[in-house]
Amino acid sequence: MEPSSPIPGARFVDPAVLARIGNLELIAKSIVDGFINGLHKAPFYGSSVDFAEHRGYVPGDDVRRIDWRVFARTERFYVKEYEADTNANFSVLLDMSKSMDFGTRGITKFEYARILAGCLTNLVHRQRDRVGLVAFDDDIREHVPPSAKHMEVVLHTLDKLVPVRAGKLLPPMKKLAEFFGRRGLLVVISDLYEEPEAVAEAIGPLRFRGNDVIVFHVLDPSELDFTFPDASSFEDLESGVQIPVVPEGLRDEYRTLVKAHTEALRKKLAGHRVDYAVLDTSKPLDFALFSYLNMRARLMRTR
Amino acid sequence: MSLLAPLFLLGLLGLAVPVFIHLIQREKKRVVKFPSLMFLERIPYSSVRRRRIHNWALLLLRLAALALVVLAFSRPYVIRPQRTVTGTGAREVVILLDRSYSMGYGDRWQKAREAARKAASDLTLSDRASLVLFDADAEVAVRSTEDKDRILAAIDQASPSDGATRYAPALKVAGTILNESSLPRLEATLISDFQRMGWLGSDTVELPEAATLIPVSVEGPVSTPNAGVAAVAIERSTFENQERITVNASVTNFAATPLPGTSVSLEIGGRAVQTVTTDIAAGARASVTFQPVTVTGPNLRGTVRLANDGLERDNARHFVVSPISAVPVIVVDRAPGSGSSSLYFTRATAIGERPSFAASVRPPDAVPDDELKRAAVVVVNDVAIGSGLAGRLRTFVEQGGGLLVIAGPRTTWPGGGDLLPASLGGTSDQSKGDAARLGAVEYGHPMFEAFRAARSGDFSAAQFFGYRTLTASPDSRVLARFDAGAPALVEKAVGKGRVLLWASSVDLEWNDMALKPVFLPFVHGALKHLAAYAAPPPWLTVGQSLDPQTLSASVADPVAVSPSGTRVVLAGEASEVLTVDEQGFYEVRGAKGIGAGAVASVVAVNVDVNESDLTPIDPKEIVAAATIASGGVRVEQTGMPLSSEAQERGQRLWWLLLAAGLAAFGAETVLGNRLSRA
Repeated sequence: MEPSSPIPGARFVDPAVLARIGNLELIAKSIVDGFINGLHKAPFYGSSVDFAEHRGYVPGDDVRRIDWRVFARTERFYVKEYEADTNANFSVLLDMSKSMDFGTRGITKFEYARILAGCLTNLVHRQRDRVGLVAFDDDIREHVPPSAKHMEVVLHTLDKLVPVRAGKLLPPMKKLAEFFGRRGLLVVISDLYEEPEAVAEAIGPLRFRGNDVIVFHVLDPSELDFTFPDASSFEDLESGVQIPVVPEGLRDEYRTLVKAHTEALRKKLAGHRVDYAVLDTSKPLDFALFSYLNMRARLMRTR
Repeated sequence: MSLLAPLFLLGLLGLAVPVFIHLIQREKKRVVKFPSLMFLERIPYSSVRRRRIHNWALLLLRLAALALVVLAFSRPYVIRPQRTVTGTGAREVVILLDRSYSMGYGDRWQKAREAARKAASDLTLSDRASLVLFDADAEVAVRSTEDKDRILAAIDQASPSDGATRYAPALKVAGTILNESSLPRLEATLISDFQRMGWLGSDTVELPEAATLIPVSVEGPVSTPNAGVAAVAIERSTFENQERITVNASVTNFAATPLPGTSVSLEIGGRAVQTVTTDIAAGARASVTFQPVTVTGPNLRGTVRLANDGLERDNARHFVVSPISAVPVIVVDRAPGSGSSSLYFTRATAIGERPSFAASVRPPDAVPDDELKRAAVVVVNDVAIGSGLAGRLRTFVEQGGGLLVIAGPRTTWPGGGDLLPASLGGTSDQSKGDAARLGAVEYGHPMFEAFRAARSGDFSAAQFFGYRTLTASPDSRVLARFDAGAPALVEKAVGKGRVLLWASSVDLEWNDMALKPVFLPFVHGALKHLAAYAAPPPWLTVGQSLDPQTLSASVADPVAVSPSGTRVVLAGEASEVLTVDEQGFYEVRGAKGIGAGAVASVVAVNVDVNESDLTPIDPKEIVAAATIASGGVRVEQTGMPLSSEAQERGQRLWWLLLAAGLAAFGAETVLGNRLSRA
């Protein structure tokens, strides 16, 4: 995914370099700082904390939220409502399956995903949103409920994750769909090695409670281009199955298949109103952040 | 089909390597971990399989190339039927028995005789055998007989000689005997200690094609000490009018152990006069110098002797010295007081020891006959010669005398001077203007030997104010010319003798040469050349010939007596060329007439010191040389069937295999490149 326009001041740092830093908090902070500095002139920044509307008081509403000025004019109780996302729930759903532990450009997909999750968390935290984290493979492995105070916990949890098991999208998603009752923003970061139908079936339900869902499809460049030179045995990271492969002979077919896969995913997820972006781990993280904000802005405008 | 180096076949195990690699590669070569095979598994498998079939072709090619190379290294050959060795029938056997003096070392001679006896005993009734005893020469002791007892008797009679070992003559004799034989099987048995020095790399032997050569080595460990007198140098000196010699001997230790305290003694006339003790390191040479010994008379016999050791004959080295006899020279000159011009010349002859000259000056009308007979050289110094003396001088020269004619202003020669190498012309006066100088000198001539080296004598320093114009006769040789081109020194051989003609004087009348440094060696060179002087060698080596001319000149009907007492007539109808074959002193005596029985001269004979070196050669080297000399693939002369090495060498299959293997590797490279590109 390419940015639509160059962003002044954005820090297009090679992810491989970031991966070597090790301190996730530092990375997330420095990337996001630079990113925000670069966005000062962005037209949509700040709009999310704006006043949204008045609504009639219903029993159960906090009396503190009653707009007394409106009461003075109209003698009716109205409650002031702001844009919900100003402190919406934000959760990263991070795939920590074994297949994520792959990389050919100095950084694995998992490391990339982790940095991305850290950055997003940091970015969102600055917007005073509640941040949470779910790490899953074939089940939920780590769960940090969304909270405004959970920034450090999320980063710490991210830091200690190690991908070891095979992944399966459906079981953990099913559980999560029930869990995320409160409307919020869910970011799924995964390599999505499942049939598009299965992916859609797993992720679609997350939308049911009104959550906004963004799917970041993280892939290594070699997964996209299949640039292996020599005939080799290819071993599945998760199942351990090996097959002999002559890359030269089936490179084109492979690329076609991957392209078809991502297209199918895009279509299926779009059908569920889920945003979908393919992230190449050789591209700087700024692209991912930019695409996130872009999407957020779009979501707000279309509301 | 057989293999020369079958162990190399282990290399075929290497064939397993490509197969093994292939098998591993097929499944496990370079495992690439990949997140998911989801897509790969959907792609049809055919491209992989096609590649595998191509691999098999390549693999087979590689295996073939490896196998060919391994086979080449194991050197295969085809076993061909042997021609004669395994055949049956009567044998022609030549027993070659080494009797060189090195066979006297340890028990070698006993072993050799045993081996010869065994070879003779193995003969069947139909076999024929010859016995050849050899050292440097080969002697056929018994020629092609069926009588086994004669052979055995000859073996018993044989004993080591004083000669050195040479294999080539013996093998040639064997080849001749075998060539003449009509028997179906030909064999030669070479019994020797196989010394390296006995075989020269250039020796060629000619054994018949079907013959076999069986080497029997009697060489044993060289454990007993073995030293030898390698060389003796004799230096002459004069002390209080007595001639003395200083003997310097060089002693070599051939053994691998040092010889401390070896005593070396000098015997004069058969009596030990001095003994010196020295230490010789292993394989080293030590030099021993004895005190000077006075030469008391002619034919003084000397011996340098070592204590007995493993090899006896090289322990003594004999030599003979005689007092140096002066070369008698008659100088024909004007009578003293009438302006004799021989002063410088006679002074020059009085100097020098090797040889010394005894010059006597005689006027032309008073040259005694007996003196002329004894003289070696006559010098005619610027006098007119009458026809009587001229005739006598001609006879003198024809019988081997030397004549030097110094052509001054007074020189005349009767009868047209056909004895002289050039006709005498007029006088060339060079006193006005530049004096003449000697231009071209034939330095290659023996009389100018002393001047041959660079910067040894400058003839052009001498100035010539007058000389006689000479016209050289066609049979003469001009040895020196003046710078104008006129001959200065001309030589001619007449009968057994020589005549030299010098175109100027030898005093200061016509030139100043007598004052120049070149004068003395010039006079000595001329006289030595005319007298045909040669220092007698102090000894001969076994195998050399006696020169009867030099030995028997002074006695009538000379007879040589060998150290063992054998008499050989040297002159007359029954004369023989005597080859000395015994170590010791040969005496030459007059058989009859005046001085019959008296010893006229003595010749010392020594063994060849090279034979002392017992370093052995591999008998196969000789056998191989015989094989190569005969050429082609055939039965090798070892008595055994043709060795596998020889058969393999003749066929050289390995070369073809190696070439094929390399070609296969080349094809593999081409195919491999093409496949990887496809």
